[in-house]
Amino acid sequence: MTAAVEVTGLVKEFGGLRAVDGVSLSVPPGERRVLIGPNGAGKTTLFHCVTGTLAPTAGRVALFGRDVTRLPEHRRTVLGMGRTFQISNVIADLTCRENLLLAAAGTDARKWVLHRRITAFEDLARTAQDNLARIGLERRADEAVRRLSYGERRQLELALALTSRPRVLFLDEPCAGLSPSERARISRMIAGLPRDLTVLMIEHDMDVALGLADRVTVLHRGRIILEGSPGEVQTHPEVREVYFGHV
Amino acid sequence: MTPARLAGAAALAVAAAVLPEVAGPFWMGLVTQMLVFGVLALSVDLLLGHAGLFSICHGSFFAVAAYTTALLEVRYAVATAMAAPAGLLAGTLLGLVFGLAVRTRGVYFILITIAFGYVVWGVAHRWSSFTGGDNGVTNVPFPAVAGVRIDSHTEYYYLVLVAVALVALGYGRVIRSPFGLALRGIKGSESRMRTLGYDSNRHLYAAFVLSAALASLAGVLYVYYNRFVNPVAASFPVSVEAALMAIIGGTGTILGPFIGSIIILGLRNWVSSFFELYAAIMGLVFIVAVLWVPEGLVGLAARVRGRRAPAGPGSATG
Amino acid sequence: MATGALLQAINGTSLAALLFLVASGFTVTFGLMRVVNMAYGAYYLLGGYVGLSIAQASGSFALAVVGGGAAVVVFGFLVDRFLIRHTGENHLAQVLLTVGVAFVVGDVALKIWGGDSLKVPVPLFLRGAMELPGGLVYPTFRFVLILFGVAVAGVLWVLYTRTQIGAVVRAGVDDREQVAATGIDVDRLFAMVSALASFMAGMAGVVGGAFLTLYPGAEWEILIVALVVVIVGGLGSLGGAMIGALVVGLLDAYGRWLLPEFSYFVLFGPMAVLLLFRPRGIAGKDA
Repeated sequence: MTAAVEVTGLVKEFGGLRAVDGVSLSVPPGERRVLIGPNGAGKTTLFHCVTGTLAPTAGRVALFGRDVTRLPEHRRTVLGMGRTFQISNVIADLTCRENLLLAAAGTDARKWVLHRRITAFEDLARTAQDNLARIGLERRADEAVRRLSYGERRQLELALALTSRPRVLFLDEPCAGLSPSERARISRMIAGLPRDLTVLMIEHDMDVALGLADRVTVLHRGRIILEGSPGEVQTHPEVREVYFGHV
Repeated sequence: MTPARLAGAAALAVAAAVLPEVAGPFWMGLVTQMLVFGVLALSVDLLLGHAGLFSICHGSFFAVAAYTTALLEVRYAVATAMAAPAGLLAGTLLGLVFGLAVRTRGVYFILITIAFGYVVWGVAHRWSSFTGGDNGVTNVPFPAVAGVRIDSHTEYYYLVLVAVALVALGYGRVIRSPFGLALRGIKGSESRMRTLGYDSNRHLYAAFVLSAALASLAGVLYVYYNRFVNPVAASFPVSVEAALMAIIGGTGTILGPFIGSIIILGLRNWVSSFFELYAAIMGLVFIVAVLWVPEGLVGLAARVRGRRAPAGPGSATG
Repeated sequence: MATGALLQAINGTSLAALLFLVASGFTVTFGLMRVVNMAYGAYYLLGGYVGLSIAQASGSFALAVVGGGAAVVVFGFLVDRFLIRHTGENHLAQVLLTVGVAFVVGDVALKIWGGDSLKVPVPLFLRGAMELPGGLVYPTFRFVLILFGVAVAGVLWVLYTRTQIGAVVRAGVDDREQVAATGIDVDRLFAMVSALASFMAGMAGVVGGAFLTLYPGAEWEILIVALVVVIVGGLGSLGGAMIGALVVGLLDAYGRWLLPEFSYFVLFGPMAVLLLFRPRGIAGKDA
């Protein structure tokens, strides 16, 4: 079976620094894969290279068997990629509804329409409305996003990524900067995602990470040092050393 | 539209319609100018207020369209029905070329548009065998289509009024369309838009060409009003002022650029009647606008810096 | 034909020397302070006119050069301190603000010095022409300008790459927060660099005014060409400004010689090419 995400020998250099040093991983469709590792391990850089935000120095990235190494991000989205960023990245001056409308139209040729109001497209409006309901923000639909709390923006961002109906979702620390109750909420949302959606997640919060993961990949200094089930990884001595500096 | 807005629009329409009767030829001419430059300011604002790009070369499209139409009418006796669209096309084609600038962002984009704008001025100024150099092209006739000829400034005023009304309606459609919303999305966060599936470079290029077309339209309207065009139309001050009009009047809106045009042209007219150094006064207006009208510039500035727009009025979604 | 080509090469190089004086200030000011100052052309004009008046009053060209430069240092300081300071890193605001300043300077200068093209008088020993190897006769002043330009470029380069202050400036161009964190008085540093840049622009005005003449509108022409230099060479790069000045100076000279009506088109060429392949310029830093 073709892997949802296949990374082969990925290297990313900045000047003299190798942020990602020969990473290979393979995520089968439907799996929940979590990437963990201490700060500076190269997790976000790896994500950037796989999603197309950065061009890798060397290596290969494939989505559902298709080589996307040199493909720009917007094309990867059309192929089924969705992502959220480490620091909440939503369009603050627009309303929630407008953000979702844009997400709905992103993979649709109608985004190029010049002569009709966007609100005239009922199916797009419905998609936006459905996703608003999904994250419970219907009442704030027409407020500018900048008036939302950080937690609500995080939820919106997840909804944006889901609106384009991705086949593989990249979540970069979805719980970062959230209060415990907000974390729980996001975790529930992620846990509740359809099983045919492949999810790759970077997460620092061990409880969240191990609770959601089918499989865990541990990164350290740009390399994979371990890959296994949550239970295996949690008790492995090398992981404890990398995180806590002692066995 | 709310009742209040509708009433306001109706009042405006009535005022505009009776202006020639009530106020006389001088004011009518001034208002015609304000409308024409309002369209130019609108073209700049499509990029500035919606896409977040600060372009200072729109005088080029304006001038190229004006020159093309003027030369065709005056030198080659081409009828308006061909000369006007040709002017529009010429300016838009230049937009296709200058749109290359969209490969850059922030400061680089600003500087490159300035340099591009100057190239056009330089050609208008130097290529005197063709463009007439500093003397420009004179004696442009009033437009005439299919036997219907405009005979007076008053008739031309009404033509411009109708044209501008249509432009405003069309522009309103564009900014409320998926395309318009996409531009504002890109202005807000290009990275987010790209991961949603938008090819930001393509969208910005399309917006640039569209704004060039709008500036060209202003140029055609201008040359039939002024009956004359010279290199000043392509000069840097014209392009910069168009941007200032949009900013002062309120970017991201349809009315804003026109309000800005009224303010700037009105001010210039008033000042130059009693004070010689009115360019210096305009300079002071720039300085004052920047230092004391910061809110309107905040949203744009963040985008020019390449970051997502922060909170602040003046970044309305139109 | 060969002498013609050689002549244009020297013309282009002398123009390059002038362009470098204006462009280097602009590019380093941007690189270090992230300030886009569109009044540099006006600084050139102001320096030139002040230098002209000094030369006419005192008969000394050297005094004119220094005086013109100094006048701009003072004016530039006022603009920095009372106007630009309020714009932070808002490039759009900086552009509009400094354009406004340039409009004011241009109009006031028109009132004071009038609309005719004025030439800064040059000392006797720099007038006339000299004979170069190969039988070519060339205006002495422009030739000396090249030497002057090379000398200034050399001094700046040494200051930039071999002194401690230069190292701090280079580090600052790379990463300003880092420099501020080392405890160096950043405000002082900025003021010094800004003053040097202003001095060079003013000096360029006097020198340029001696062979290109000064007239209303000159401030925009020189600014635009300097901007092309900066675009080609990359914002923030001193070396880029040198290479860019040479490229643009030569293109301008050959353009005017071969295609006088389209010489501005010739300037357009390298910019368009750069946009296609290297939007950041030859050696540019991030905007």
